[in-house]
Amino acid sequence: MVRETCSYEVRGKLKRAGRFGVRARARNLLMAGAMSVGVLTGIAVLGAGTSSAAGPRAVAARTITLHEAGSLHRTSSSGLKLNEQGSASGTIKGKIYIHLDVVSPNRVTAEVNIYPNGGSLTGSGSANYQVNGGTASFSGKMSIKRGTGSYNGAHGSGLSFSGTIQRLSGAVTVHLSGSMST
Amino acid sequence: MSPMSKIRAITAALLVCCCLPATAGAAQTVTLHTSFSPDKLGQSTTVGFGFQIASTSGGLPSPLTGLSLHLPPGIDYITTTLGLSICQPASLLERGLSGCSPNSRLGFGSALVEVPFGTGSGHEIPDIQALMGPSHNGNIVVLFYANGQEPVYAQIVFQGELVAGSTAFGGDLDATIPLIPSVTNGPPVSILSVESTIGPSHLIYYKHVHGKRVAFHPRGVSVPLRCPRGGFPFSANFSFLDGTSTVARSVVPCPSRR
Repeated sequence: MVRETCSYEVRGKLKRAGRFGVRARARNLLMAGAMSVGVLTGIAVLGAGTSSAAGPRAVAARTITLHEAGSLHRTSSSGLKLNEQGSASGTIKGKIYIHLDVVSPNRVTAEVNIYPNGGSLTGSGSANYQVNGGTASFSGKMSIKRGTGSYNGAHGSGLSFSGTIQRLSGAVTVHLSGSMST
Repeated sequence: MSPMSKIRAITAALLVCCCLPATAGAAQTVTLHTSFSPDKLGQSTTVGFGFQIASTSGGLPSPLTGLSLHLPPGIDYITTTLGLSICQPASLLERGLSGCSPNSRLGFGSALVEVPFGTGSGHEIPDIQALMGPSHNGNIVVLFYANGQEPVYAQIVFQGELVAGSTAFGGDLDATIPLIPSVTNGPPVSILSVESTIGPSHLIYYKHVHGKRVAFHPRGVSVPLRCPRGGFPFSANFSFLDGTSTVARSVVPCPSRR
């Protein structure tokens, strides 16, 4: 409404400027410019206020503390890569996928994807790997690299990442804890 | 001879000169041989390795005190089901193989040793077992159990630790070899040769399925998915009681494309 009113006033003066000379026209142009800036500023302020009230996308970074536990089974392996799939529970619930990459006899890198309702999270990290008879364990750090949907822009680092592998069955349990921001 | 040929010839001569002292200075020479069985990319395999030690002076070689076997990169150590149980060294020494679960066995082999007062032709220790030991610093430990009867009566346990290797090699199996006394308080025996395997070949494991004990073959480590030009490189450092050391290399050929 404000914008409409100003606009009409500016137009009206500009029309008159044609009749009263160049100086008046220049003064009117300056006036119009100043008013436009004011209008745009007002819209921006209004817009920001509206957005912040509407939902998570415009909210300043929120911090989520994750305490995730996952239970997975092996879906495939190829060379030095293991692919595991299962379900995650805790702060975020959903399907979880882990891709383990063996980089040495006692070290793995991992990519973790979690798919809660309305979004996704992707993290990566590395961990020490240790065999102890029928089970193997890994423990290390992970970073949240990206998110989509309701976790758009998710990021975080230094999250604890650990788990065990039942070597005969390939079943994996994994624990992920730490903070991330969206 | 062109200038380039001269440069090549001089370079080759210098290289030979530089290499000679290391060989000439060593009192022992070692031949290493290795194998993958089967040798199929990405497939479970049994790793075979063996070595022969000879003295450059023609006598008995100095007793072996250390071995570091460098394995090729790309071997999958995670999907193997070898070593599902842990064998405790004390139990192994006290009760022999019956002191450990069959699911801790990793492989087996034999050795040829010579006592200092022997004929020089060697005496076989026919029974060397490789078993999964308690991990050390997070590393896989392989226990080697040698059961000597005649003329060297000795049950010996020594261990190798699988550590992360350099970039050129995927992992190193480092072992310190104890001195084996020929007789009580006598000089140690010399190892002339060793043959061993690490892998599922001839191994039977057991698992419980619905309350029944079921035998199965464990899955071995996997041959890398890709074979580098020239084959899979193995290398080993050998250390001897006389303070010398030597390096031996071996290559497992790339599998044929069939």
